[in-house]
Amino acid sequence: MTILLQLIYSGIALGMIYAVIAFGYQLTFATSGTLNFGQGESLMLGALVGLTLVTLGMNYWLMIPVVCLFGLAQGAFVETIGVRPAIRIKSEFGWIMSTIALGIIFKNVAENVWGRDDLRFPSPLPEAPIRLFGANVLPMELLVIGGALLMMLAVEVFNSKSILGKAVVATSNDRDAAALMGINTKLVITFSYALSSLTAAFAGVLVAPLTLTGATMGAVLGLKAFAVAIIGGLSSGMGIVVGGLILGIAETTTGFYVSTGYKDVPGLVLLLIVLALKPAGLFGKTAIKKV
Amino acid sequence: MLSIRNLHAGYGKVKVLHGISIDVPRGSVVTLIGSNGAGKTTTMRAVSGMIRPSEGEITMGEGASARRIDAFDAHRIARLGLAHSPEGRRVFASMTVNDNLLLGAFPRLTWGRPRGDVNGDLERAITLFPRLKERRNQLAGTLSGGEQQMLAMARAIMLNPDIVLLDEPSMGLAPILVEEVFRIIADLKAQGVTMLLVEQFAAAALNVADYGYVLENGRIATHGPAAKLRNDPMVKAAYLGGAH
Amino acid sequence: MNPMKKIAALAGLVALAAFPVLSGNPYYIHLVETIMIYAILLFGLDIVVGYTGQVSLGHAGLFGVGAYTAGVLFMKLGMPIWVTAPAAILLTAGFGAILALPALRVSGPYLAMVTLAFGTILQILINEMDFLTSGPLGIKIPKPALAGKPMDETQYYWLVAALLVLSLVVVHRILRSHLGRAFEALRDSPIASDCMGVSVYRYKVHAFVISAGFAGLAGSLYAYSEQYISPNTYNFELTILFLLAIIMGGRKTRTGAILGSAVIVLLPKLLDDIDLFRMVATALAVAMVAGAAVALARRMTTPRQIAIPVAGTVGLAGFSWAIDTLADWRLTIFGLMILLVVYYLQDGIVGFARKLFVQGRARAAAAIERPVDIAPDAILAVRAQGQGELLDVRGILMQFSGLKALNNVDLTIRRGTIHGLIGPNGSGKSTMMNVLTGIYVPTAGSVSYRGQSLVGRTPSQIALSGVARTFQNVQLFGEMTVLENVLVGLHHTFRANLADVGLSTPRYRREEAAARERAFAMLHFVGLEAVASEEARNLPYGKQRMLEIARALALDPELLLLDEPAAGLTAPDIRELTAIVHKVRDHGITVVLIEHHMDVVMSICDTVSVLDFGQKIAEGKPAEIQADEKVIEAYLGGEAAAAA
Repeated sequence: MTILLQLIYSGIALGMIYAVIAFGYQLTFATSGTLNFGQGESLMLGALVGLTLVTLGMNYWLMIPVVCLFGLAQGAFVETIGVRPAIRIKSEFGWIMSTIALGIIFKNVAENVWGRDDLRFPSPLPEAPIRLFGANVLPMELLVIGGALLMMLAVEVFNSKSILGKAVVATSNDRDAAALMGINTKLVITFSYALSSLTAAFAGVLVAPLTLTGATMGAVLGLKAFAVAIIGGLSSGMGIVVGGLILGIAETTTGFYVSTGYKDVPGLVLLLIVLALKPAGLFGKTAIKKV
Repeated sequence: MLSIRNLHAGYGKVKVLHGISIDVPRGSVVTLIGSNGAGKTTTMRAVSGMIRPSEGEITMGEGASARRIDAFDAHRIARLGLAHSPEGRRVFASMTVNDNLLLGAFPRLTWGRPRGDVNGDLERAITLFPRLKERRNQLAGTLSGGEQQMLAMARAIMLNPDIVLLDEPSMGLAPILVEEVFRIIADLKAQGVTMLLVEQFAAAALNVADYGYVLENGRIATHGPAAKLRNDPMVKAAYLGGAH
Repeated sequence: MNPMKKIAALAGLVALAAFPVLSGNPYYIHLVETIMIYAILLFGLDIVVGYTGQVSLGHAGLFGVGAYTAGVLFMKLGMPIWVTAPAAILLTAGFGAILALPALRVSGPYLAMVTLAFGTILQILINEMDFLTSGPLGIKIPKPALAGKPMDETQYYWLVAALLVLSLVVVHRILRSHLGRAFEALRDSPIASDCMGVSVYRYKVHAFVISAGFAGLAGSLYAYSEQYISPNTYNFELTILFLLAIIMGGRKTRTGAILGSAVIVLLPKLLDDIDLFRMVATALAVAMVAGAAVALARRMTTPRQIAIPVAGTVGLAGFSWAIDTLADWRLTIFGLMILLVVYYLQDGIVGFARKLFVQGRARAAAAIERPVDIAPDAILAVRAQGQGELLDVRGILMQFSGLKALNNVDLTIRRGTIHGLIGPNGSGKSTMMNVLTGIYVPTAGSVSYRGQSLVGRTPSQIALSGVARTFQNVQLFGEMTVLENVLVGLHHTFRANLADVGLSTPRYRREEAAARERAFAMLHFVGLEAVASEEARNLPYGKQRMLEIARALALDPELLLLDEPAAGLTAPDIRELTAIVHKVRDHGITVVLIEHHMDVVMSICDTVSVLDFGQKIAEGKPAEIQADEKVIEAYLGGEAAAAA
């Protein structure tokens, strides 16, 4: 029983990481109808940049805002190079392929700069597990859960309290009407990509101490976070937290009770099932087609 | 306040407007009427920057401060003081009434236009539309059609605009609500707001307007003071056929 | 095929067959063999990417299924290639069908993710099910046996070459047939496909299954070619390479697939040899700068447009001199190539070459065999089975959350009449059209057509039972020619199946010839036969609307629904439209017309129904409607009715 509980704790932490990445997908999809197929690589770059800063002596907590700034810049870069030209020529194929291409390039650059081996990220918190309801949980896992929730909450507060945040929400509601309000919607889209990479980079430095950090850490994470975004529904914040939890726990339990090789399977299968049965996601709303 | 000259516009291959010219003097209410597909909404969209005209000039302002806006993006035109309450209302459905109104003043809050007293204006706007006052914290998507129309109009005046474009405010509304909407338009007119009003319902529009243009198949069929147009048989023909 | 092409193809074939003999070097033979194997897979991938227009990130996984089917059958059961290859095709095709299931209702990024998930799952399964596949250890396979001995490199090469040619012929036949047209229709307008009787679901499955079959064949050949297979080959990187090959070579062309395959096989070899790469990159940069100078001088482009390609190639050359080994940067090169192709070479190399050389020559001259005599009456005259009601609509309620778009509407359409449906904006006309054609399912009420209920049937089924429509916003298959658009409408006349098409049986050839003849006659009916080989998206707007009508008539409908056909038309076009609608009615086809152009409505229609706020407020002859107070009020507002 304690093992199960432990698996659940790890699953929740893992799920929250997925949720934060999925949150990033939602941000860009809401404002522009596009998303970054290289989102996993944004996480990976955040983790590696963070590792370098920490290795150079920077304090972990100080490093976080710096990595966040890096994330902002990286997101804006992806949008400018990869997405904006595709939106201009109205090509879905275009932004899908170009964000994939940028992801590949980032991964390759990371391999060359940081090497192909996985690296250890020093944990900022003591590594001794805490006992919670009879099972062990790592302090870092608690930090992940807390940090993820905090990040998503911060964005929600920004969206609902500040006028710029409201402008972003307005753009997601109705891009044309937002433009009529004097909102520069192109800038909003760039900003949403910047914010989306920020959340991914942030997730990267949170999850890095828990797993191995390396150029390959982003790929499957991105795909599974997409599963979470789909399962939850691309328009529901609550949905991705629930989706993340489902996926995270399913993964840790499969990894233990079945085999580590198969741990990625439940998430992917769940993605296929949801897309087959309810493409709008468990919490999403199906759009009415107008002909 | 607004001057349109020889405007040609369309969507891709479809040419909708074939060279129309309209003047909206300051402080007046000008209406553009005509049947569906005549090009009324296309005209509005070309003016507010939602679509780019293929030919023609659109000028906003008068005298020394007049500028050509036909090549500008929509958000830039809004920041110059042109408010557009679009066809279909297009309120921000997942945001509250209050937030919708606040967003109407976005340029004022982001150094695009003189700030003035945003909160005061919000209170004034919401008092002008009592239905909205009761629902100020409700999500705009849950309002009825009529209430959304009120919201769209109130949102437009939150800009403190030099000119307001009202696109089919009566569309989809029950007659009693149409009356209310037009009463509000008359109120705004009394306050001196310059308006360009596009309407399918010629009768009500010509009642409240000073001057009218009748659009047919992308061209101005006739125009004149509203009082004269009210009795012009060409108007009815433009809608129901039979003139040619 | 024209004589030039035939000679080129023959020459190519001879060169292909002679290559191993001429070269004698097993390394190069193996290289070309790999190019051929990838090309077979790419033929199939092009069906999904080029024809149905979707991104598939799962084909490496399908490739793996093919390879492992061959490997496992050999390892466990000792099966020969004559068994393993067909088995690989069938099993992979089966997986293609499974993949199609979650892919049915989604498109675009969702579809891409589905295929990616699927491909990833396949790779995991191959890796983990080591009781079957030996997992990470891999499987060793010798070359297939021929007359007791294993084949040598050259003999296997010829086997692969033969299968390549066979695949090419089969794929070419499929894509040139009604199946290929159906795939393209899916891409250009799924809604119009469904409404022309080409079910999007069905043909999506077809596309995935056929595409997977080719991947399976390629996979099994790959296994024998490499003589060793392991799970980590069939990964994301390979799938991206396949996509790069298609978009770089050019979509919708076999030559493009082969060219793309050559690029992705040879490029890593090129990158391994840094000196060679430096030479190529420098040569490319010089060529680009020279080309840019010429283009600028001839004013074919602007400095801004040409800046990025020039900077890119020069930068690449500089980069190649700055580093020592390129192997580590392979993926970056691939990524940059994808970006380059997506933004600057959208038609691929083949498409670009075509535009360069074929520009100016009238595309209309491209051989379309025109029938000598155009059959006078291609439009099937509907034998009016008595007078009376063709369509009986009762009590339709269409509710979208709070809004009642249609509120208890009754409508009766009599055979052989032209029935107008008018009303102010938002009155429910288009909603009614969508209910009648199955795009919306009504919240309540019944729709009875020839005595049978239409409610709950798919748009494709409704179309095939004789209800055809046009669309308010033109929904043509833009990238296909005018003739092909009508041929899609004639899809229902084909009984030929995949085997008939692949083998080009007499039955299929007859059906195709008959369909072309009828299609031409339909174009003649609407006056478009002169532009039969033009791409639909290049037609002027008025002609596009006529084409939509011709395509709808190809369904041999008894009921034709026209949604604002006169919108945006000039006066002469409107006159033509009116004439055509009359001709249609004269053939006994019943017409329902939604229109705002009152003159059109009044001059053509026998009966007019008026909707307002989702309810019917008046019905009768045009003149009656024009004078009806309620109607005037609905359009002009209260006071005008008093003035009228």
